[in-house]
Amino acid sequence: MSSMAKTQERTGLLQGTLDMLILRTLLCGPAHGHQIGKHIQRTTNDFLQMQHGSLYPALHRIERRGWIVSKWETAPDRNREFKYYRLTEKGKKQLVIEESKWKQMAEAVARVMWPAAEES
Amino acid sequence: MRWWWQLKNRDVDLARELRSDLELEEEEQRERGVPPEEATYAAHRAFGNESLIREQTREAWGWTWLEQLLQDARYALRQLRKTPGFTATAVLTLALGIGANAAIFTLVDAFMMRNLPVTDPKTLVRLGDRSDCCVNGGAIEDGDYSLFSTEIYERMKKYAPEFEQLAAMQAGFPYRPLIARRDGDQENARSVMGEFVSGNYFETFGLKPAAGRLLTGSDDVKGAPMVAVMSYAAWRRDYAADQAVIGSTFWINTKAVSLVGVAPDRFFGDRLSTTPPDFYFPLETHAVISNAAYVHDPDTSWLYMIGRVKPGTQLGPLQEKVSGLVRNWMKETNVFATEPDKSLPEKTHVALTPGGAGIQDLREQYESNLQLLMGASLLVLLIACANVANLLLVRGMQRKLEISLRATLGAARNRIVRQLLTESVVLAGLGGIAGLAVAYLGAQMLLKLAFPGADAITIDAHPSIAVLGFACGLSLLTGILFGVAPAWMASQTNPAGTLKSGGRGTTTGASVLQRGLVVLQAALSLVLLVGAGLFTQSLTKLQATDLKLNSKNRYIAHINPQGAGYIPSELEAFYRTIEQRFHELPGISKVGICNYTPMEENNWSNGVQVQGQPYTDKGASFIKANAEYFDSVGTHVLIGRGIGPQDVSAAHTIAVVNQTFVKDFFRKGENPIGRHFGSPAPPEASGDYEIVGVVEDTVYTTVRWKDHRMYFVPITQRPPSVKRPIEQDLSLYAGALVLETQWPVSNMEQLTRKTLAEINPNLAVVKFETFDQQIADRFNHDRLIARLTAMFGGLALLLATIGLYGVTAYTVARRTSEIGIRMALGARPVGVIAMVMRGAMGQTILGLAIGIPGALLCARLAQSQLYEIRSVNVAVMLVAILVLALSSLLAGVIPARIAAATEPAQTLRAE
Repeated sequence: MSSMAKTQERTGLLQGTLDMLILRTLLCGPAHGHQIGKHIQRTTNDFLQMQHGSLYPALHRIERRGWIVSKWETAPDRNREFKYYRLTEKGKKQLVIEESKWKQMAEAVARVMWPAAEES
Repeated sequence: MRWWWQLKNRDVDLARELRSDLELEEEEQRERGVPPEEATYAAHRAFGNESLIREQTREAWGWTWLEQLLQDARYALRQLRKTPGFTATAVLTLALGIGANAAIFTLVDAFMMRNLPVTDPKTLVRLGDRSDCCVNGGAIEDGDYSLFSTEIYERMKKYAPEFEQLAAMQAGFPYRPLIARRDGDQENARSVMGEFVSGNYFETFGLKPAAGRLLTGSDDVKGAPMVAVMSYAAWRRDYAADQAVIGSTFWINTKAVSLVGVAPDRFFGDRLSTTPPDFYFPLETHAVISNAAYVHDPDTSWLYMIGRVKPGTQLGPLQEKVSGLVRNWMKETNVFATEPDKSLPEKTHVALTPGGAGIQDLREQYESNLQLLMGASLLVLLIACANVANLLLVRGMQRKLEISLRATLGAARNRIVRQLLTESVVLAGLGGIAGLAVAYLGAQMLLKLAFPGADAITIDAHPSIAVLGFACGLSLLTGILFGVAPAWMASQTNPAGTLKSGGRGTTTGASVLQRGLVVLQAALSLVLLVGAGLFTQSLTKLQATDLKLNSKNRYIAHINPQGAGYIPSELEAFYRTIEQRFHELPGISKVGICNYTPMEENNWSNGVQVQGQPYTDKGASFIKANAEYFDSVGTHVLIGRGIGPQDVSAAHTIAVVNQTFVKDFFRKGENPIGRHFGSPAPPEASGDYEIVGVVEDTVYTTVRWKDHRMYFVPITQRPPSVKRPIEQDLSLYAGALVLETQWPVSNMEQLTRKTLAEINPNLAVVKFETFDQQIADRFNHDRLIARLTAMFGGLALLLATIGLYGVTAYTVARRTSEIGIRMALGARPVGVIAMVMRGAMGQTILGLAIGIPGALLCARLAQSQLYEIRSVNVAVMLVAILVLALSSLLAGVIPARIAAATEPAQTLRAE
């Protein structure tokens, strides 16, 4: 039997946050899976360790929603084909939505955590 | 299979993506100075479990359920292949059960549900709701009109503009064959079917010609050139679809008619029939071709009507309007005046019914039979399902160990249940496919059985979409229904317990559910067996009836002198010629000429009033016959004399009556000889016929017609009260010759055709049969039902026996170790056999106990279709019980002997 037990995926991030990070990364230009993972990891100073088991499902899920599109293209420095993901118009709009949602969330969390800071 | 291809493609793409990224990771590791072999491992470490990533990514596609389903199906097929005996039994059982049902349903669909192959059949509306075949004069007794005169048809067209199109068609064309011959051809004249239809007939149905043109309104007017349209089937069959036929002249009943076109393929007319029309003619040509005054006689109702209403028309008000039109017309023409029933004008009405299926004659004939057969086939399906359920249960138990093992290894419970369900659905699917093959062959066979000798059945026996859906739905339902039980049982398994006991824990043998199923099967088979017995008994009784005739060395040739061009005044001489010519043939002893023969479908009847007695509302059937007729059919004259050669047209009009006639019209002991009788109207008609003899009650039309009053009159005599000119008297035309020979003549048909053609080349034989064949034909219907119920009974018995065998064998297998111990402790093989048989027979006896009242109940339900059988005959019941008991004995003996042959030492060691 193939799926005797399902391994639950653990992102370590809030649901949807990874999607937002991917979209934001692609705003700078098209990239393949490895680049996206590396970029997020580097930018956060290795704070967010990119799990491939989360990254690829997330990429494919986002693609199914039409926020990004993919294409096999030759990498300029490697002379080999990689699957490049590119942000769509729909994806750009989604990024704005996700961003404002995240901001609201962060502010809300901040108000609970540091109530004094707000009063001053 | 597009989705499958897409799925595969995506999988390949994902693998490539992961590989390329992994390789990149590896390169980057190397570039950072990690040694090559280290780099590979490091990359894999950083990447994680690749197949897991793939699995998780696939889930993001949303295809997993499908993949799992395919996997389950593949696995199920593998499991089924591993146990060919089980699979074959289950599939065969399902195939027979589903096939029998689908075959019957194919016929139900064809007879009762399918529309005519015409444009937009749903918007067609029929005026009337029954088949009032074929020609009627005067008012209809209960006021329910389905049959109309040409004049009412014309009025409807004029005053009911709600009908976009309204077509009329001859009701009784199947009973009035025509004689046709193509001009210039060397071909012989032959008997064909022709239907007279209104000019807009084809337009109403929205049909396009296959060749040439179809009829139009301008063909259907007085004085228009006579034209005809041929059916596609006839065009293919008789003229190999030759275009040159169009435009050629045909001699129809010796009148020249030009063929203008061919009706579309698949169009078989406005009704299902075993004798579909070969030709369609405009109504107007009927008067000339058939030499009958139907078309413009306001008192002759001979047409059915089907129309297409304008969109948005309310049928309720239209029905009122149409009924009103008929009522008014009846009042105007004073038809009601002569009717004794004064409430008739209010009762007169026309029911508007859906016309998409056309005129449903056959449906009326076969509806109750088909319902009965559907009931029988459903019982067979129930038995088959019980069998499959039993097989699946047994299998489920045998696989307890395997399932426990899987559960222990971590398989999710719902996944196991799903797997088992998939297995039974796959099994049911296979059964359904095999069932379709059985259904296809079965339906063909049923049609052949139902209409033997019919060469042009218009009933399409191909399983339709509906039938396919029916079969698939049935098999799916069976699969799910009987997959649930074992699956549920499996999900209740306590893995640890089962594994510990090594799969041989409890030794109780078959479960209550299994035994219950076997009992049910036994009960249902008894019902079907009793049913088969009753219908066989009914048929035997019908066939054993003394028909009071002699069919030995008798041949019946149906002829059509009117179609051959004879006019009534020529007929007396014509009949003399026939008698003379046929007597010249070697071996001929009697030549009977008549309108109708014993045991044929049709019959003419009339009201009867005995002179000097009040009219009692009773009628009688009458036969017009020549002098040798009684001898030729073997009817004995009891009192007085039969019809003699002296009873010519110029002589005094006489009649011979049968015993029932005497019993019903005269007091006991009263001498009927010399008395007079005739029609109740006009008054002087009661003196028309003088009774000169009494004959025995030879059976006409059907054995079921008891107390059939009949009288026989010389074929060329016309009663004095009939004032109509002779040329309009259609009753003078003979319909059949009855030829009695001294010995069997094998080429009698050829001789008859040749002799008739020598008299007149247009004298085609409509139908030629031996008298025995004609009689046998009349039992076709009953024979079909008896055979089919017997077939279903046999099928049920077979399935029930297999079921009982399966359960008994299973019990024995489960109890092998117990039996081994018993035998080690001194039990004798006979005792073991008895023990096993007790179990098997116990279930059968319980089944009988349930089945007997069930059979009695069903017999009551089917009584209307049985002949003179009021209740279940003891002998029939006993035979059914005996047959069932014997087969269950057989089903029990084999496993019992296996049990008795158990070697105690060996079984104990195996333990």
